[in-house]
Amino acid sequence: MAIEIPTLPEQLPNDAPRHVGKAVNRVEDPALVSGTVEFIDNCVLPGMLHCAILRSPHPHARIVSVDTSAALAADGVVAVLTGEDVRRWCDPVFTAPEGWGNYCMAVDKVRFVGEPVAAVAASSRYLAEDALELIEVEYELLTPVATPEQAMASGAPLVFEERGTNVMLARKYEWGEVDRVFAEADHVVSRRFRWNRVGANPTETFGCICQWDLADGTLTCRGSYQTPRFMGIGRAGSLRLPANRVRIIAQPMGGGFGGKGGPRGTDIAALLSRKAGGRPVKYIEDRMEYLLAGGGQSWDRYYDAALAVKADGTVTGFRVRLVDNQGAGAEGYGTISAAKPLAAFTGNYRIEAAAYDLTLVATNRAPSYPYRGYGPPPHNLVLESLMDCTARELQIDPAELRRRNYIRPEQFPYTVPSGNEYDSGNYGQVLERVLALADYPALRARQAAARAEGRLLGISVVNTVEPGVFDWNAYATVGVPGIGVPEGVKVALDVFGNVTVAVGFNLQGQGQFTVAAQVVADYLGVDMAQVRISTAASDVAMPHFGQGGSRLGVAVTGAILGACEKLKAIFTTVAAHVLQLPADDLVLRNGRIQRRDAPAHGMSLAEIAGLMLTRSDLLPAGVEPCPEATYVWTAPNRNAPDDQGRCRSYLTAAYATHVALVEIDRDTGRVDILDYSIVDDCGTRLNPANVEGQLQGGVAQGVGAALYEEYVYDAQCQPLVSTFVDYLMPTIHEVPMTRKDHFVTPSPVAPLGAKGCGEGAMHTTPAAILCAINDALAPLGKELLETPASPHRVWKLLQEAGSAIANGPTGTRT
Amino acid sequence: MSSKQRIEVRVNGIRHVREVEPRLTLADFLRHDLGLGGTHVGCEHGICGACTVLIDDRSARACLTLAVQADGHEVATVESLRAPESGALHPIQQAFVDAHGLQCGFCTPGFMMTTLELLRGNPDPTEEQIKEALGGNLCRCTGYQSILESVKLAAQRMKPGAPA
Repeated sequence: MAIEIPTLPEQLPNDAPRHVGKAVNRVEDPALVSGTVEFIDNCVLPGMLHCAILRSPHPHARIVSVDTSAALAADGVVAVLTGEDVRRWCDPVFTAPEGWGNYCMAVDKVRFVGEPVAAVAASSRYLAEDALELIEVEYELLTPVATPEQAMASGAPLVFEERGTNVMLARKYEWGEVDRVFAEADHVVSRRFRWNRVGANPTETFGCICQWDLADGTLTCRGSYQTPRFMGIGRAGSLRLPANRVRIIAQPMGGGFGGKGGPRGTDIAALLSRKAGGRPVKYIEDRMEYLLAGGGQSWDRYYDAALAVKADGTVTGFRVRLVDNQGAGAEGYGTISAAKPLAAFTGNYRIEAAAYDLTLVATNRAPSYPYRGYGPPPHNLVLESLMDCTARELQIDPAELRRRNYIRPEQFPYTVPSGNEYDSGNYGQVLERVLALADYPALRARQAAARAEGRLLGISVVNTVEPGVFDWNAYATVGVPGIGVPEGVKVALDVFGNVTVAVGFNLQGQGQFTVAAQVVADYLGVDMAQVRISTAASDVAMPHFGQGGSRLGVAVTGAILGACEKLKAIFTTVAAHVLQLPADDLVLRNGRIQRRDAPAHGMSLAEIAGLMLTRSDLLPAGVEPCPEATYVWTAPNRNAPDDQGRCRSYLTAAYATHVALVEIDRDTGRVDILDYSIVDDCGTRLNPANVEGQLQGGVAQGVGAALYEEYVYDAQCQPLVSTFVDYLMPTIHEVPMTRKDHFVTPSPVAPLGAKGCGEGAMHTTPAAILCAINDALAPLGKELLETPASPHRVWKLLQEAGSAIANGPTGTRT
Repeated sequence: MSSKQRIEVRVNGIRHVREVEPRLTLADFLRHDLGLGGTHVGCEHGICGACTVLIDDRSARACLTLAVQADGHEVATVESLRAPESGALHPIQQAFVDAHGLQCGFCTPGFMMTTLELLRGNPDPTEEQIKEALGGNLCRCTGYQSILESVKLAAQRMKPGAPA
């Protein structure tokens, strides 16, 4: 039986005011504000030990010896783990590209500062850390590989000797007649960009409790796991266990944003449990560990990029060369990060041809990991900055240049040169609304007045497309083993008609439990208070993926609706039997199976569920006494990529335009955001407050990436950032309180018309701020093409401009 | 390892007498010795503010305070906010729920305890005063806008004479 998933909220079988589409209070929140949620460090198991990890102080060194005898004899210590145990018991973690994975702990040599070298399990964390000081490690220092340039030089030291090179992956894509459009262009606008490392830094670091049952060879891991099933498969691989003997129990998470890490910490705690006779071992990463070596460093990128432009401002081609410093290994699936821009390579524009030349390089920086958006935030910064450079060179207003190049509403569904299909949109409409919301003419007047006073004000009008609801097909051409993106649920009614939805993921902050409760309540015609959402452990949950790729709100909605459609069929069969009516005469409405022509005649779902569970004598033959249904949703209509990576990869294409006003302090180089407006369209807003929270949160992270945050390393690959005193997270003073409005163009292909919306602001904000800074600098003939635009970088440009003015105009660009 | 010291500390109105190591942080004492897990630890170096509690009604970082320093003092944690029997939320908690002032909720106890201190001293704060008070707390999820709205809503509801 083909299941049809409702594509609009109006199709839900309910006349009561719907929960879907309203900013209802979140079901997660009463426990969260009470402080009673079981974040992993709040969990305690009987006999639990505590793990502390000794980390390498060197970026590149051979391990000559590790002496753990004194640590083993120390107070409270039960087990010590070293690389020798790991070599004996483990395989390196999965990676993409394949073959660039590390073991959970250094074996033979260390490849970055902070890499685990040994670990201790003791009766308290304090005693475990005491014991670390007693471990003697002798290192033989090796020359570090600090930069991609060094890594790619002939005769460079090798980060992974067995690979014979430091280049993890080199791949060229060409879509359309790129050489021709560049040859025929009236202008070619090209720049080099540098995006320095930033990262997720959720407020809760990674943590887990692992217990290795030595009797039956089953490993149970509780922890702050973003993608539980994926994590379980990975652990089965690295720890050489059958996958059905790894149970992952996802606890609520204090944020994630892709950069939660976890594989190394989990494997280390698991192995310590194995050495400690099966006692549970807790590992809670501290912030310094996270900053040094957690899953929190992303996007260390060098771009060479160009637009081909006709005299009238029509952009016809886009070429990008990316060199990505992945650090010491690809355990964070670096290829995905580099390849994700294929899903929206040419942004909002009708650019006919494009080329992408990407090189992933290994160095002795920490391995990089996913972060909100995965690849598009830096890519969009490059594209949108080049649009602004073009606007300046052609003396066209940046909003007008974008307007001229937009994909037009009648062109949807629209296939971009890199292959993905955008489902729907009206970019011009969003642009006009945000220009009105920001009062763009007034901003320009304010800028002109400020410039006349010698002040540096800048304005940007920046837009992006957010590929939503990801699928692995996009990555099949870059060597990524597909793990699948099913999202499965079980919807169950109890004997009283209460509803429980079992899901495979846990809370991370986006409010998916609330969305799930809204959707199921509307379909089954119950109050949200009658619904409970519960996380199943990975061994019994339906196939699932969890948070990632702007997908879960859409995916869990599809899964619940699919299960509800199955329930409707079962309940209709039972009601038809009990009421002695043909099933075709019955419909589901407002929580009742009732006669189409006489709604008073029918049964409530609670009555049917109760009957099914308690009176098998009244059931029709062949119907199980089970008012429950499962459904596993995945995006429909996906196809395999061609040799240039082209395929329908991301189901939905939300989009937004941001208008920012910034001012640069001439004396200090400090940038202040004076005004910020957003108009977006992510289709149906299942819970508008959740959507606004995702937007504003993305803005904050974008502000951090654009202005403050940076993982700084010295020339020897020593990290200079190890605390929040060095890694500057934006506070309430730095993040603009934004003005927001929106349109709703329901996705024609997604459940209830909702599009993925968790990452878009992170794709847009860094570009919006950098473009506004460059608009401010334009009168000085200077451009900043590096992030973050920290005061010292801006100040240096101002100094150069000042001396240039003093020495006569030169018009140099940096 | 080091000799333990006897401390007497009143936490959320309950008197505790314990022997603790001098190096034990107040955060670990609250979380692991007393089982009050609502005080979360985000950085352990005093920047993020997730572990903010009140000591004698003044906000303090529980990660930078040693348990022995709380000897003879009164500590209030997020667990003190909710009504003990009915479970009714404190107006600050309810305001954070109603104004969607949290996402993952990990930093929220620190924000709420800071808000409690602010509103006790200044029942009608301006937006700038709210920002000044909350400037030492990091939130990675919300972008702060809904937190600002939550505090305004709490202030409005807690003003003397406001409808219950």
